[in-house]
Amino acid sequence: MSWFWVLDYLVLALVLACAVLTVAVRNLNGAVMALSALGTVLTVLFVILGAPDVAHSEAVVGAIALPVLYLVAIGKSRTDVARDANLGEERSREQT
Amino acid sequence: MTLIFTLVAIAEMAIAAPLLIRLAIGPTISDRIVAVNTLSTQAMLSVLFFAAAADRAIYLDVALWLASFSYLGTIVWARYLERELL
Amino acid sequence: MIALAVIGLGFSLSGVVGILRMPDVYCRIQCSSKTITMGALPLLLALVVGEGFVSGYTSRALLVMFLLLIVNPVSSHALARAAYKTGVPMWHGAVLDQARPGEPADEGRP
Repeated sequence: MSWFWVLDYLVLALVLACAVLTVAVRNLNGAVMALSALGTVLTVLFVILGAPDVAHSEAVVGAIALPVLYLVAIGKSRTDVARDANLGEERSREQT
Repeated sequence: MTLIFTLVAIAEMAIAAPLLIRLAIGPTISDRIVAVNTLSTQAMLSVLFFAAAADRAIYLDVALWLASFSYLGTIVWARYLERELL
Repeated sequence: MIALAVIGLGFSLSGVVGILRMPDVYCRIQCSSKTITMGALPLLLALVVGEGFVSGYTSRALLVMFLLLIVNPVSSHALARAAYKTGVPMWHGAVLDQARPGEPADEGRP
């Protein structure tokens, strides 16, 4: 018998956990890292579901290009994000 | 043989699951980059063994893309941390 | 093949536990660099042994092995350098920082 359903449900659980982390992490850079992890795990899910070409584009766009785009946007909007690595949303709200 | 390959793929993803804890509680941004990098390596190995188990050679190219582009992403994030990307 | 797979899975598990339990960014980078690579190489060798040497899987596995051996130290070094430059604090039990100028171990170097 085939054991592929175990891998299917495991990767589905990982996708769900990464998506929850993307919303729940308070640090903006950490949320971008969780988005990158979501793209990586979603690549494995696409391969398991039998779509390798979609997995190609997901590995490039979802895991690399989209988080880099978000990082550039965050870095351009706030100039002191990378200097203080612990800067979360609460502290920035206190400052403004 | 197929069962062994499938079990290795399942074990790789199960091993990669606790990295999400480090991704959640990581104190600095570098911890999270390390966690994502390791998760990408484990996902690449899982795809490789799933391709061997499903007997589809076309899935192997996804593993190559993951292996090359995850490190490219890590280097890009390292340059971003040094404020040389913008 | 089963022995190689078990060795690789054991090293991968120890690397992940190290990333979870280490007290410092630099120790975690060390776990992510060396232990995960050491866990990946026996698994790729297990794939080569299991599929036979002349197959499409073997060429891709050897290519991934070469790529892993080249690019993983490069990315780990870039990440550690970026973490040191951004001023990520070390563990309070760290004894030596040779990159900082004025350190006693720095005198013999040019």
